[in-house]
Amino acid sequence: MNGAHDLGGMHGLGPIDPETDEPVFHEEWERRCFAITLATGFLGQWNIDMSRYARERMHPGEYLRTSYYEHWLHGLQTLLVEKGMLTEDEIAARMAELAGEQDS
Amino acid sequence: MKALPAKDVEHTLQNSRGARVDEDVPAKFAVGDRVLTRNFNPVGHTRLPRYARGRHGVIARDHGVFIFPDTHALGEGMKPQHLYSVHFTGQELWGPDASRCNGVCMDLWDDYLDPA
Amino acid sequence: MSDHHDHDAPLPDTVLRVKALESLLVEKGLVDPEALDVLIDTYETKVGPRNGARVVARAWVDDDYRQRLRDDATAAIAEFGFKGRQSEHMVVLENTPEQHNMVVCTLCSCYPWAVLGLPPVWYKAAPYRAKAVMDPRGVLEEFGVALDDDVEVRVWDSTAEIRYLVLPRRPEGTEGMSEEALADLVTRDSMIGVGLAKSPGGS
Repeated sequence: MNGAHDLGGMHGLGPIDPETDEPVFHEEWERRCFAITLATGFLGQWNIDMSRYARERMHPGEYLRTSYYEHWLHGLQTLLVEKGMLTEDEIAARMAELAGEQDS
Repeated sequence: MKALPAKDVEHTLQNSRGARVDEDVPAKFAVGDRVLTRNFNPVGHTRLPRYARGRHGVIARDHGVFIFPDTHALGEGMKPQHLYSVHFTGQELWGPDASRCNGVCMDLWDDYLDPA
Repeated sequence: MSDHHDHDAPLPDTVLRVKALESLLVEKGLVDPEALDVLIDTYETKVGPRNGARVVARAWVDDDYRQRLRDDATAAIAEFGFKGRQSEHMVVLENTPEQHNMVVCTLCSCYPWAVLGLPPVWYKAAPYRAKAVMDPRGVLEEFGVALDDDVEVRVWDSTAEIRYLVLPRRPEGTEGMSEEALADLVTRDSMIGVGLAKSPGGS
């Protein structure tokens, strides 16, 4: 699809800006996102081409505004819901629960 | 559907299936052939980038028979076919003023290519 | 964190959502929490560019090995035990005085995990993915690499499951060095093609 991911030749994105001695993961949530993406992939409910397509379907504005593992998170939730492994309602409910626990 | 246990992770990572398909599918092209990439705009998944659609290239290498992602991503089957390394000159991709790019190679399947 | 300066900072929503997914998946028996730890540990500490550096150093000292890399890079790299996910179909690209190779994945972030580990943020981010195929000389300038005008710069866009490892040129003044010492000169960036191998006793 002609999504924002198809970046070859785009202008105006700024410098490449490599980080010196960059760590493999910058945040704990990135570690967890990486791990649950691979672990759920092992269940054989989707293939790597489906997982790429799920990430590509992010709204182009959102894709360009967000970071790499945020793309993975979007793709993972898309796949889990489409394959009927989780529902959006139960994800939202669990998020609300966890947010409540954080605040209390 | 059960979780892969921790003890099986290393083996699973090391012995991934990959995308090659052991099927004797005839190749449409040979090394050295000139090709023209399709001008298409599928809403599904494709690995032919927009900057390389409708462009003339040369087959540089035949990698063999591989899963075709455009169908595989939609659950429409592996449709195994030949995958090639195709070379494009910088000027073919970016125009006659393209002095900063000598050339690009990318891996493209039979279904993306027509004879030129 | 430099990867966030062009992005909005991840919302608390992102952190919450990852936690929610993980807890639901564990609860439903779909992921083993210990398996998650193995996955993280593997790519955070066990698999990295040192693997690729050893392959390059071997190719520098052993012409037969270099030929095996040309004939079947996947098998030759597997001689070290480096294989599997995101490196099932390897091709080695040799830099020569006439040709410098650079690897990118414009469409996502395809990268040879078994020999280089997980890719750095800049490789996966939009600026590199957009620029590498159109202005690779500009990319090299950003990385502080100057090549003569008559060197052909060839860019490889990883559009399929073929994974590319650049074999950088062996630096001058390295005769007689051990493989291990040579591997110390092979930087991750030189194996992507945005850098050169280091010279001994200096940069």
